[in-house]
Amino acid sequence: MARKIVSTGRGGAGKSTFVALMSRYLKPPSLLVDLDPDLSLADMLGIDFQREGKRTIVEALYDAVKERQEGGSPLTPVEDRFKGFVWGDCLYEGKGFDILTLGTKDLEGCYCYPDHLLRKTISQLSKNYSNVVVDSPAGLEHLNRNIVSEVDDLFVVLDPSDKSLIHIQKIKAILKEVGTMYDHFYVLANYMFDEASERVFKETGENYLGKIAYDKKLEEYNLRGESLQKLPEDSPACRSVRAILEKAGLV
Amino acid sequence: MPIGASDLRESGVGLNMGKINVITGRGGTGKSTFTALFARYIRAKPLLLIDLDPDESLAKMLGVNLEKEGKCTVSDALYEVMGKGKETKDVPDLLKRKMEEGRILYRDRKFDLITLGTKLAPGCYCLPDEMMKETLRNLNKNYEIVIVDSPAGLEHLNRKVTPDINDLFVVLDPSEKSAKHIERIKYVTRGVKIAYKNFYLVGNYRFTDEVETYLLKTGERYLGRIANDPLVRESNLKGESLFKIPEGSPSSISVKKILREAGYVLV
Repeated sequence: MARKIVSTGRGGAGKSTFVALMSRYLKPPSLLVDLDPDLSLADMLGIDFQREGKRTIVEALYDAVKERQEGGSPLTPVEDRFKGFVWGDCLYEGKGFDILTLGTKDLEGCYCYPDHLLRKTISQLSKNYSNVVVDSPAGLEHLNRNIVSEVDDLFVVLDPSDKSLIHIQKIKAILKEVGTMYDHFYVLANYMFDEASERVFKETGENYLGKIAYDKKLEEYNLRGESLQKLPEDSPACRSVRAILEKAGLV
Repeated sequence: MPIGASDLRESGVGLNMGKINVITGRGGTGKSTFTALFARYIRAKPLLLIDLDPDESLAKMLGVNLEKEGKCTVSDALYEVMGKGKETKDVPDLLKRKMEEGRILYRDRKFDLITLGTKLAPGCYCLPDEMMKETLRNLNKNYEIVIVDSPAGLEHLNRKVTPDINDLFVVLDPSEKSAKHIERIKYVTRGVKIAYKNFYLVGNYRFTDEVETYLLKTGERYLGRIANDPLVRESNLKGESLFKIPEGSPSSISVKKILREAGYVLV
């Protein structure tokens, strides 16, 4: 069974950067799952889904619905049609990792159904990988949907504010009520932390793994939308992520 | 029976509807900071603030402790009502009663505040958001201006809590992702049919001149940037009210400038 890793946190904290850099150090093959409708982890890794002819989960779902409406057999459920799309259309296969992307929805309503499909897809695919790494959307709602119900390592990326302290408590309350199990609950500091704020979070009694170092180059790459795969191995951000993963026993 | 003027007045259509302004953006950009300073400097009486973020941080930034004030969030109220085994169809009425009892609406000197709050049960925020939508429909005629602080990301837009927006402010951080975020907001609002009069961009405290030129090729209306302000950072780290930082602080001055740019009358 694959090790299930989830990266979450408040918006803009650096969840996706963490996942993008983490993918280098994990034992391959890893399946990366981008749960954020607003951001493409693939973009950050320099993968252009459109150019590669790949589709998001939401797009495949739209296709499945459309196919059925346009004269496909009414006996085949949408879910089965959708399943047919996943391997060929949605899964991008890269070096050392594959990626699935949720995508953006432009119909009224929530992401419960796409998330539900993704949950099933993940459990079907996970046996083929050593790790499944989920990059979450900002905020808390995805937790209510219990997409991965048994998490091995949960990483909460924090920004230096009082809201992060509250955020940790809220995550725990939701996981408990929703019935998500986790083996490890780790907190890490983002690049904006100074020593004083680090101290505050060290004193919370949470399993604090350290800080993702500020990295001028990384900031530039994110601004220009360049692939983080190109970031040099000895850059401060890479080194700090590696150190964090070592502490978590993942390297 | 034809619809008469009195019916229209009853429903609030066309008459003194509070102008709904929505602040949105990617996570951590400064939506709530902007909302809090917006609330502080706008001249509007009465003013209603809505915190749509389950992380519910706006209250604190306004210096309000809801629990101490004996108020609860919409999610808490919903949980209480549902927890008593009531049927879903009765929920709106029960919530309305809670509202009338004054359990949800917090009243301050400058503003009133309603908070969505955190949901602990499995599933999505459709029901709490639906309740908020209903509440807003009932209440907005009592206000001159309504300001809605959104959760990070896009999903709240799919739920169309505010179908008719006056000013939609998007607070941006300096990254390529912000440019894509703008496109996605437009994609979702178009698909879901959310109407807005004005679409404004606001740069956050991390903007530089270089980023401004880079991001503003979009052709959208850009109002300026929220200045970097150590006092805001400190305030947010400590969880203190943004109503306490000096009026002459860089963040205050820049937000006032942005609001004037959008045509608001300030205090």
